[in-house]
Amino acid sequence: MRVGIMSFAHIHAEGFVGNLRAIPDVELVGFSDEDAGRAARAATAFELRRFDRHEDLLDAGVDAVLVCAENARRRELVELAAAARVHVLCEKPIEATLADAEAMRVACEAAGVTFMTAFPMRFDASVAAVKRSLDRGELGALHAVNGINHSEIPNGHRAWFADPELAGGGAVMDHTVHLTDLLRWMTGSEVTEVYAEVGNPFYPDDVEVDTAGLVTLTFANGVFAAVDCSWSRPTTYPRWGHLKMDLIGERGALTVDAFAQALTAYSRHLPRNPTWIGWGADPNQAMVEEFVESVAEGRPPAVTWRDGYEALRVALACYASAASGQPVRLDHG
Amino acid sequence: MGSRMRVGIVGAGSMGRVHAAGWRAAGADLVGVVSRGGASARALAQTHGARAFPDLDALLREVDVVDLCVPSDLHHPMTLRAAAAGKHVVCEKPMALSVADADEMMRACERAGVRLFIAHVLRFFPQYRAAAEAVRSGHLGRMGVMRFRRVAYPPREGASSWFADESRSGGMICDLMVHDFDYALSLAGPVARVFARSLRSHHPASSRNYALVTLGFESGAMALVEGGWVYPAGTFRTGFDLAGSDGAIEWDSDSTESIHRYLLLTETGGAPEVGLPLTVMTEDPYTTEIKHVHAALVSGERFAVTPADAAAALRIGLAARASLRTGRSVAPSEVA
Repeated sequence: MRVGIMSFAHIHAEGFVGNLRAIPDVELVGFSDEDAGRAARAATAFELRRFDRHEDLLDAGVDAVLVCAENARRRELVELAAAARVHVLCEKPIEATLADAEAMRVACEAAGVTFMTAFPMRFDASVAAVKRSLDRGELGALHAVNGINHSEIPNGHRAWFADPELAGGGAVMDHTVHLTDLLRWMTGSEVTEVYAEVGNPFYPDDVEVDTAGLVTLTFANGVFAAVDCSWSRPTTYPRWGHLKMDLIGERGALTVDAFAQALTAYSRHLPRNPTWIGWGADPNQAMVEEFVESVAEGRPPAVTWRDGYEALRVALACYASAASGQPVRLDHG
Repeated sequence: MGSRMRVGIVGAGSMGRVHAAGWRAAGADLVGVVSRGGASARALAQTHGARAFPDLDALLREVDVVDLCVPSDLHHPMTLRAAAAGKHVVCEKPMALSVADADEMMRACERAGVRLFIAHVLRFFPQYRAAAEAVRSGHLGRMGVMRFRRVAYPPREGASSWFADESRSGGMICDLMVHDFDYALSLAGPVARVFARSLRSHHPASSRNYALVTLGFESGAMALVEGGWVYPAGTFRTGFDLAGSDGAIEWDSDSTESIHRYLLLTETGGAPEVGLPLTVMTEDPYTTEIKHVHAALVSGERFAVTPADAAAALRIGLAARASLRTGRSVAPSEVA
């Protein structure tokens, strides 16, 4: 299978290079990026064939692409790929508005190509083990979840994360979607109500977007959950951040810290002191493999466009809730 | 000093026992104990060489300060009786079960010229003190997102079963989570909005409860307070995470226990009726608290936790319960 990467705007593109190269049946054709400086750096760093225009990558003949553009530029790339009958793995949140997300579905359905949303945490070994525990009934009925996906501000890696035009928001756009997706997956239920405190207490002089969010989700089956999506870790923190959940059920509680498997390193040569060096399995590897396999087998991927859309819908509802100071209902017709 | 401060304890449950030890350590004269059953008061009095009194009025005649370690619905009437008798009052948290009662307690003590201390002991826990000091010193900059955890097991049936009765204890939110509400207010000032979800609102019959309460502060800071009576007996997990514009502080009880026991043939099921989140310390925080109260009563200095602080924390708990009833976010000023 011939696979390309559309845009290196998202930091995850760098990791995907190694993920794709580790799959025997995949030929990583190259990448397209219209930012000349970023493209030159990526081409050198990863010894990758570079295409200046996205159309050129598609013309080179690829079966599938990983779309790693900025949030608000993904529709354009997905539509290009779909028009070329190329399957898509799309970064999250899948777009910045619901209308753009909907347009991506229409384009992919019309072209008959796969659209998979890149939610890697479903493929994390610890999270997957928790899902199996829940499915086995270890906790009995699930009642509530206290979720944390807080991190440092990512604009040090890529400035657009804190650009309201390109990101469509800040911390809430960036980090609400992962836990929302995991919770939808684990509960098998949809979010019916969203309440959120949203603000910019951390970098009020530096960025225009929100840097903090505390979100309460209520699901159709009665489960309620908190999601802390804040960019609240200092840039001196030993790692980018965390993904954790405390799950409360009928028969007790279960906690998961998805990135707990790490070494603590102290060195004058490391940028963070200490540095947590993860040694757990890379969830992105399993996610990219699932994408490739679903395309090869012509079946729906494990994470669909709908999953990406519903998570985006929740993120956008957070802003509506914060604007009104009250919970927002979501209908599922 | 010519005469030591004479103290009477009301209630000989887990808190009465802890406070009695604190008063002894503070050097006060623990005169007597009164309790509903009588037997537990006699046992506690005997331990400390004090007397068991038949009722509150008899105790009030013999003391300078009365320490109310009784079910929370008794805080208001007993405080009024003590104030009327001209005695200082130390009272367990939550201060009362309504804002009106809390206000009346403050007014009664002021009128009687006696002092009122509500035992928000969390302020005296060394890790909470150290974090508050770091916040005050400016290490964290402006407060941004605060997280608090306080999850334990349901109070056992028996003498402590009043905890599970919301009309007597205020429920898990007002009894347990009020600790973190008070602490959060002490760090970040007034709260504008409270939103809550709880297990109890889905399963009203169960004594187990779990709640997630979001606070939006007037300053723009926010807090997520987690509280629960859902864990297996003997478990008590606490923690906080304070993130500001210039830094963050993390602490959790899971990872800072200095001693872990891996004993063969341990007894199980020996958890106390009500758990206390204590770790290895030279002085337990309840003693630190009582020593502070004693010193402030003797010297006339200000209490570290004022009655107004305690009333504000109660308001947050009541606002959270109002949010559960209405499904809306609630301003603390809306509750009565």
